[in-house]
Amino acid sequence: MQNGDQQALAYLYDHYSAALFGVIFRIVNDKNAAEETMQDVFLKIWTRIASYDSQKGKLFTWMLNIARNAAIDKILSAEITKQRKTKDISDFVSIVESNEIVSQFNDGIGLQNVLQQLPPEQQVIIEYLYFKGYTQSELSEEKNIPLGTVKTRLRMAMLTLQSIAHKI
Amino acid sequence: MNIEAYISSGILEAYASGLLNAAEREEVERMLVLYPILQEELAKIEETQIWFLQQVAIQPDESVKNAILDQTKRSIQAKSTIKSAQPYFWAVAASISIALISSLLSVYFYFKWQGSEKSLAKLIAQNQQLAQDYTIVNQKIDQLENDLSVLYNPNTERIILTGTPNAPDAQASVFWNKEKEEIYLQLQNLQAIAQDQQFQLWAIIDGQPVDAGVFDFSKDALLKMKPLPGNISTFAITIEPRGGKPSPTLETMQAAGNTAKS
Repeated sequence: MQNGDQQALAYLYDHYSAALFGVIFRIVNDKNAAEETMQDVFLKIWTRIASYDSQKGKLFTWMLNIARNAAIDKILSAEITKQRKTKDISDFVSIVESNEIVSQFNDGIGLQNVLQQLPPEQQVIIEYLYFKGYTQSELSEEKNIPLGTVKTRLRMAMLTLQSIAHKI
Repeated sequence: MNIEAYISSGILEAYASGLLNAAEREEVERMLVLYPILQEELAKIEETQIWFLQQVAIQPDESVKNAILDQTKRSIQAKSTIKSAQPYFWAVAASISIALISSLLSVYFYFKWQGSEKSLAKLIAQNQQLAQDYTIVNQKIDQLENDLSVLYNPNTERIILTGTPNAPDAQASVFWNKEKEEIYLQLQNLQAIAQDQQFQLWAIIDGQPVDAGVFDFSKDALLKMKPLPGNISTFAITIEPRGGKPSPTLETMQAAGNTAKS
């Protein structure tokens, strides 16, 4: 890939683009902006792949980190921040589900269906940290939850998801 | 380092989902190298994360993929034109020297990093050694406290066992708490015996010798012997085959002493 192997990039795209786009789209909450971000992300993956170190985690984790940062950079641009603020956070999930893009969901079981299986306090953590682009301390302030609690709830939420994954 | 506490703090989850700042990331990456169990834990979290994000994935339009592949194709073409063009010679030369300098720097920093990695490993080893020593000292203190509580008990009677003609130099003390039926033995001097032999303590109750346990010579601490009820008149030590015998071999008696009650 360092030598410009486009096939490798296409392979990564085919396998992971939908998972990454699910995160990017929900953070930026705008189809055009999400598609621009997606291009930036894969160009970054393309140019920086040599710096990926498998000792530091899986390739997807590395790509997710790039995607998350790019999506947050995107919403820092003024006009998108404005749009985002007008939308109430509580009906955020329903906005995504009702969007026209919902028809393009792959055959997964959907965000709401997965989240509904988590206790409410864990749903909030996953929604904000994965799909609202919040940091843990931002969430702690916004929801008035101690930072340590945010951290351990994220762990609890991942353990719940793990047990759901094993049941399916 | 308490690894369980580190894992349950949720820091690996935060690492996997990209929530940490650069300094925190580096810290986790250092820990991953040091503790393989963290790598296993992280792998589990990452698998869950991939699974979850695949469940809630959204397929982007085909046009996005095409745009990406177009752009990368153009960047490849741009690169090859730079390489073939003469006027760019100096640019290439400059970039080669930059590459050289930076690889020298990375060698330098690699060795620096290796050095600190080594001293960290050394510190961890020292720390573990200290913790071990501390545990040993603690156990020793517990033992001594226990011994003292036996000795200081007003109901504990000390019986001095003196050497018999077989072993005039033999000396030992029995600490006997009749109420608690506890018997402790403190050894001062006993002769060396063969590997297949052991000393055995006897209590004479109503004229009959009763087994109070076998032991090897040790001056380290009080030896706790078998608890025995009843009016003990005499304590005696014999040499027996390893493991002891049901009744004493009187010819091998090393030391004996009478209780105050006898």
